[in-house]
Amino acid sequence: MTDAPLVSMRNITKRFGGVTALSDVNLDAYPGEVLAIVGDNGAGKSTLIKILTGVYQPTEGTMSIDGKPLVLNSHSDAIAEGIDAVYQTLALADHLDPAANMFLGNELTTKFAGITVLDNKRMRAETERVLMERLGVRLKSLDAATESLSGGQRQAVAIARAVYHEGLRVLVMDEPTAALGPQETARTLNLIETLKEQGLAVILISHSLDDVFQVSDRVHVQRRGRCAGVVKTADSTQQEVLGMIVGAEEAA
Amino acid sequence: MTTASTNIEPKTLQDRMEPYLAIIGPMVMILAILLFMGVAEPARYFRLSNLNLILLDAALYMPMAMAMTFVITQRGIDLSIGSIAALSGILMAFLIKQYAFPAWVALPIAIMLGATMGLINGLVITKFKVPDLIGTLAMDLVYRGLALVIAKGLVLARFPDLITDVGRGKIPGFIPIPVVIGIATMIGGYWLLKKTYFGRYTIAIGSSPESSEMTGIAVNRHKIYAYVLMGAAAALAGVMLTGKLNAIQATSAPYFNLHVIAAVVVGGTSLFGGRASMLGSFAGVLLLSMMINALVTLRIEFFWQSVASGVVIVSSVALYTWMQKKDRDGARGLFAGLTTPEGQKLLRLSAVVIGVLIALLAVGALLAGDPVPSG
Repeated sequence: MTDAPLVSMRNITKRFGGVTALSDVNLDAYPGEVLAIVGDNGAGKSTLIKILTGVYQPTEGTMSIDGKPLVLNSHSDAIAEGIDAVYQTLALADHLDPAANMFLGNELTTKFAGITVLDNKRMRAETERVLMERLGVRLKSLDAATESLSGGQRQAVAIARAVYHEGLRVLVMDEPTAALGPQETARTLNLIETLKEQGLAVILISHSLDDVFQVSDRVHVQRRGRCAGVVKTADSTQQEVLGMIVGAEEAA
Repeated sequence: MTTASTNIEPKTLQDRMEPYLAIIGPMVMILAILLFMGVAEPARYFRLSNLNLILLDAALYMPMAMAMTFVITQRGIDLSIGSIAALSGILMAFLIKQYAFPAWVALPIAIMLGATMGLINGLVITKFKVPDLIGTLAMDLVYRGLALVIAKGLVLARFPDLITDVGRGKIPGFIPIPVVIGIATMIGGYWLLKKTYFGRYTIAIGSSPESSEMTGIAVNRHKIYAYVLMGAAAALAGVMLTGKLNAIQATSAPYFNLHVIAAVVVGGTSLFGGRASMLGSFAGVLLLSMMINALVTLRIEFFWQSVASGVVIVSSVALYTWMQKKDRDGARGLFAGLTTPEGQKLLRLSAVVIGVLIALLAVGALLAGDPVPSG
């Protein structure tokens, strides 16, 4: 963990018509760090990461990456800046094989008699390489449709799609373990550790405080559109974070 | 680096069969027809001239089955192809007969007109957000109506050699030209499906429109591509039909849509999207042509063809749905479902419907007088 944040969000406010979804939120993410964002439903977690990934534009506030100002007008702007997200639904096409999914919308091609055609062979090789080298995952078969893979393997394919982009620096993971069993959850948390060791800034959105306390370095707590505080995971307890989420201290 | 390597399990029989599932169904049915006809009418069914007839019939449907494979894989449907074929054929016929266009210009014009009609279908579905079923059904009425308006009751006949060659010509010592065209379109379709953006995105869109949208695929544009291909293929079929009969009229090709959809679905392409089998569509086309030819050979009334096609569609869709269901536990035999409260209620409903029908028939029979000839 270095001193300077990789990505900073300063005084972010987002209003939808009369509804204020976020007000005056600050967020810093460091390379080689897992930052967890927790909070109740409607606390503004999703809005916050959608602003970071360029899906929404903030009403007020600024962002910077590497100290340079960051203005995102679309999700593809964010990808170009090295910020990508893996959504809960994973955005996979279940009937296609893992390689086709990894390159979906971004296929590798080759020329055949002057015509641009898909290079299925190279996409397979690259998928195998990225899964093994970056994520340490080996699939039993790259031929099978993605629907036949386990939840954790599907997650790996979706992550591989994000990390294949060489410039990737910030990876947002939205509820990656929500639909997984205990074993698959452990594998996914391992993947997060792996990405962190590779120097990515990982932003993890989760409802599971167990998962959060297992992998995260810091926890950013959202409550009713505001940041209720940021704690170092090592110095805190699940009880304390839970209290911040529900606002127990305010009430007391 | 942490490792999350997965244990390698031996493939089950079902895993290994999965890729071939699509082709097994129609193959088994083709074998069944061959066996049955081998016993019932071997002499007439297996004559070379009859096999030629089967191929000629199948060739007409191959381009459309190829295109329909893409449309259905994208969770779409196109019910307007019969009318597109007829209208394109009529327009080509008029260009040739009335305006003396050379055939080699009129033919590609017909195909481009078909593509235009497909484009209109695609725009209606994606831009006006009319559901494909209603949209193409309505456009079917439009195209058929236009064909009737233009051709009135006329039968346009006697076309230049190029057109009849496309419809029924034969490469000397080889197979008929339409068969070459049909197989070439199927091979082209296979290539499109496996090797191009269009094929890849077709499966992705059918598999999950939301995921496709999220990964930046232009979903609507690729849907329109499929309908344009479908329109062009239907027009090609219209030209082939015109050539085959050396005549065309506004009411030609009435049953193209269901026949082609049946062939594609029998071939294992899923109506629920995402699962495409070009080889299966090819086998499906052959199967339907063999079946219809068998019915003719057995001298079964023409109208039974419609019954047979419908039964084949329903049974194959039901079969594929059942085969693709991953967990079939909880079933204690074929009739176990009848003992559940839900099953009991359905049984009672069936009993009431059939009972009332029988009662009404009995009343009618009791009160019946002498038959009155109609008209």
